[in-house]
Amino acid sequence: MARLIAFFGKLDKAGRIAENVALMIVLAGMVIVAFTQIIAREVFDTGVIWANELIRLMVLWLAMVGAVAACRDNRHIRIDLLSHLLPEKAVTAIRIFVDLFAAVVCAVVASLVWEFIKLEVELEFTVLGDLPVFPAHVIVPLAFALLSYRFGVLVIKQTLELFMKPEEEAAS
Amino acid sequence: MIVFTIILILLAILGAPLFAIIATSAMLGFSSIDEPLMNVAIELMRMVDLQFLSAIPLFTFAGYLLSESNAPQRLVRMTQAVLGWMPGGLALVCLVVCAFFTAFTGASGVTIIALGAILYPALQQDGYNDKFNLGLVTTSGSLGLLFAPSLPLILYGVVAEVSIDDLFKAGLIPGFLMIGMLSAWCIWVSRKNTRELRKFSWSELVSAVRESIWEIPLPFVVLGSVYSGFLAVSEAAAITVVYVFIVEVLILREIKFKDLPRVVRESMLLVGGILIILGLSLASTSYTILAGVPATLFEYLSEFVSSQTTFLILLLLFLLLLGAILDIFSAIVLVVPLLLPVAALYDVNTIHLGIVFLAAMQLGYMTPPVGLNLFIASYRFEKPIMQVYSATLPFLLILMLSVILITFWPSLSLWLLR
Repeated sequence: MARLIAFFGKLDKAGRIAENVALMIVLAGMVIVAFTQIIAREVFDTGVIWANELIRLMVLWLAMVGAVAACRDNRHIRIDLLSHLLPEKAVTAIRIFVDLFAAVVCAVVASLVWEFIKLEVELEFTVLGDLPVFPAHVIVPLAFALLSYRFGVLVIKQTLELFMKPEEEAAS
Repeated sequence: MIVFTIILILLAILGAPLFAIIATSAMLGFSSIDEPLMNVAIELMRMVDLQFLSAIPLFTFAGYLLSESNAPQRLVRMTQAVLGWMPGGLALVCLVVCAFFTAFTGASGVTIIALGAILYPALQQDGYNDKFNLGLVTTSGSLGLLFAPSLPLILYGVVAEVSIDDLFKAGLIPGFLMIGMLSAWCIWVSRKNTRELRKFSWSELVSAVRESIWEIPLPFVVLGSVYSGFLAVSEAAAITVVYVFIVEVLILREIKFKDLPRVVRESMLLVGGILIILGLSLASTSYTILAGVPATLFEYLSEFVSSQTTFLILLLLFLLLLGAILDIFSAIVLVVPLLLPVAALYDVNTIHLGIVFLAAMQLGYMTPPVGLNLFIASYRFEKPIMQVYSATLPFLLILMLSVILITFWPSLSLWLLR
């Protein structure tokens, strides 16, 4: 059990670093592309046609990675009414239930988007001129799959919390 | 279908992530009119086609960088040098600084956390009544919503497909009206403050200006380029990030390189949370339009709402209620698409509608029981929530009055557009 917890701890750390690196690279890339585009246009009177599209793809990436990161830190936007009214335990119990719901929804959305992207690939859609669409769009089903997994983890964590806490408190 | 809707609303109130609720409603919707579920994916991917969306992550990041640096302290010092000598001076400083800061950080509660810690003790020290301070700081936390480049303004522009530049101009007078009315109230309240007024000092002003010399050009860079139409809003956002990064990280070095991953993550959490809701709401909106919901809504409304005035009254009541339970970002992406066609039939200008929408939703930040700022203030200043409710009440009433003015006097929003 202790080994398992250590493993998941490492996994969590690695995931967090991966998210941060991805966010930093994409955000920095976006700033650089947008900024050079302005300079190119205003100073040299030129520009790259696909720069705008690239920026919009980067927004998609930021949104998706950001959404996964938000799930790890449990920061998704919710109507936060009950946590101020009910005792902690009741809130955790309800959270387990609604997060399970979210995990299922994310899995369904992931499979829908996956199907759609398979279709895009079949129809040989392209991005940024003539590049294949798959690597650019695959982040969306991937993110929803990860979201589903993360909500699953949240469910397990909160369930453990709900049942383990008294013992731990007694032990400490 | 009605059963499903009730279950979904229940799940939302129980605290399910809103994007999951929206995704489910879209899927249920499409299947109820025998459309393939694949539509959800198609609409979600349409996010890539939205113009100017990059302004949201860029401005958010710039705002977080600013709030992590010592810019808030410098801003307070400078405003105090300019306004501090007036009766109620520090209260005015609080209003102006918070409005400016909220405009830049996107009204996510950052203002209260970043500035409250400086302003609240300062107000106390200057002899203002504690209840007044609590109410003032809580209220100020969402004050700059109508000023460029606030995220809700940009998001409304993206969703309603109207010119963001026009929205930026339209928000100016209503925004100043709010600050003006609150300022008048602050001066009135602090007439009894017996503490001796500070003297205006040129040397303090000069040294405050010298200290903030790098930040002073910022509003001119951002607002100048946007208001003059020289740059698109997403480009102004890129320039802002570059400028703020150079100043706070490279020149002043108040944010260390090792802090950057944390600041990037913090800001992008918010962006991810907002944009995933936006993406899925494209799907749910597409269903509601396909199913003819706006037309049904109008048909139903037109039976007992005949004039624009009645419509606006109903709208305002609805928005106040909405703002009390739903955050501003979700409210914009979910409600605006439904509202636009209906409002157009009542001859309400789309830009004016946007300003009314945001102004009313701003009240939502401090409407009991669940206004976000109320909780942030209660947590930040360690006050019981009931005390925050009652301290905020007079400010809430004044702002409500200003929102009524903004709603029924469209010229306030539209005058600068002519």
